[in-house]
Amino acid sequence: MAKRKKTTAAKSPPARIARVAKGRKPQYFSDPATDKLLWMTVTLMEELSVTRDRLDTVERVLAKKRVLKRGEIDNYKPDTRSAAERDQRRKAFIDRMMRAVHAELEEATSRGANRPDDDPIAAVEA
Amino acid sequence: MATFNPHAMLPETQHDEQARQDFVGALRGHLSARVMPGAYKIYQSRVLPAFVAAHGREPLDEQEVRSVMTKDPYYQFWSALQRRSQELLWESVIDPTERQVHELVNKAKPRRKARGSLRLDPKLPIPRYHTAADIHLQPGGYHTEFVADDVAAGAIYDKGINLYMGGALGAENDLMGNTLVAYLRERHPERKPLRILDIGCAIGNSSVVWARAFPRAEVHGIDVAAPVLRYAHGRAEALGVPVHFSQQNAEGTDFPDGHFDLVVSHIVLHETSKSALVRILAECRRLLRPDGLMLHLEIPRGRTVIEKFMHNWESYNNNETFSRYMTRIDLCAEGRRAGFAARELTLEEFRPQLAATQMNYAEHFFWKILVARKRAAR
Repeated sequence: MAKRKKTTAAKSPPARIARVAKGRKPQYFSDPATDKLLWMTVTLMEELSVTRDRLDTVERVLAKKRVLKRGEIDNYKPDTRSAAERDQRRKAFIDRMMRAVHAELEEATSRGANRPDDDPIAAVEA
Repeated sequence: MATFNPHAMLPETQHDEQARQDFVGALRGHLSARVMPGAYKIYQSRVLPAFVAAHGREPLDEQEVRSVMTKDPYYQFWSALQRRSQELLWESVIDPTERQVHELVNKAKPRRKARGSLRLDPKLPIPRYHTAADIHLQPGGYHTEFVADDVAAGAIYDKGINLYMGGALGAENDLMGNTLVAYLRERHPERKPLRILDIGCAIGNSSVVWARAFPRAEVHGIDVAAPVLRYAHGRAEALGVPVHFSQQNAEGTDFPDGHFDLVVSHIVLHETSKSALVRILAECRRLLRPDGLMLHLEIPRGRTVIEKFMHNWESYNNNETFSRYMTRIDLCAEGRRAGFAARELTLEEFRPQLAATQMNYAEHFFWKILVARKRAAR
């Protein structure tokens, strides 16, 4: 019995501490979407800062272990194939990020563009 | 970032946890030094002239400033960023605390050979000024228990207030205790208090300062919230300093009349309420021996209408719900309402040296000290 009790005590369930404070949440901008976008932007800033710190740690640890020489990353020149793969990945990333802007233009100009008075829901219910 | 001394009760940080805290510290430093001062400039250069043009006079008070400043896009952006930085601050400290909370609970448990003591009262009601909104946006506030014998709120608060003030609170969050000890030594060098009470002591960061400054004194710390008191006990023991912590409401304690030579608090009064404030001051008076001294350290509330408005940011955006009221009142008058005679009371000002990255909302930073010297018995 005592033994069993000990096992239970050792296996405390993972703690969950609240992440949201109780209280009134102010709205800062006339459009609440702007509040959310700023919220997300600062969070992205934080994650980028953390990632840069982590990359810096990786480079320093590798340099200390003599896997990398100091400045090896800064002076690195990709070969033709690596450069091409990297270009592809960069373009795809920009395309995904800019989708919000492109979509608006596509909707306005593409062949099957809805006229402002088109209502797809009303069309199928007719 | 200024140094922050490690001790056994502080959660350890892994690489990315530390990187998050470092980012929050840097962001808040930038907001304080580079963005916040712009709000004062914007007020002078466009908000105030527009107000004068519309009304033919300057704003009469901080509420009138509020009605126009909260519509200004520069102020709005700073305000939203400041709020987000506060939320991220707590998150960055909660991560490592949550990961290690069971170890911290064990470390804080009272030991047989403890120098100080811990007395909890699970039946003590938590006042509404704690439960209505989580003070400073710390999720769960000071009082919420997330695990049995919880200390998380204390661990989160300890590192959190260090980040909040950009390290200005000192290597052991000891600035406020040191400020009052220095005041006492300068103005009352003859005083060697033997019984000291620290009210609203939270993690006991100032209680420890008093116990170190007066090693012959018996130092008591009281607070309504058990998680911070358990942490305070573990922290004081880890630092090797004897303090007696008990879970009590400063509006009415179980200490006898005239029990203390000195009653102190460190930026506590502005977290209470209109009715509690007077009751707390009256209780302080009851607890002081004749000729005993009361010292309450309070944060600045601004002198000009724009500065008062900026300080009130905390009320509307950071759940310091009572600080707006504190901007408007005369602390000595509250003391008189609590039973002190006018000549027993003084309000002192004290200016610390702070860097631009540590100013948060202030143009000029002055501590206030509400001082009362209870008349000696005839």
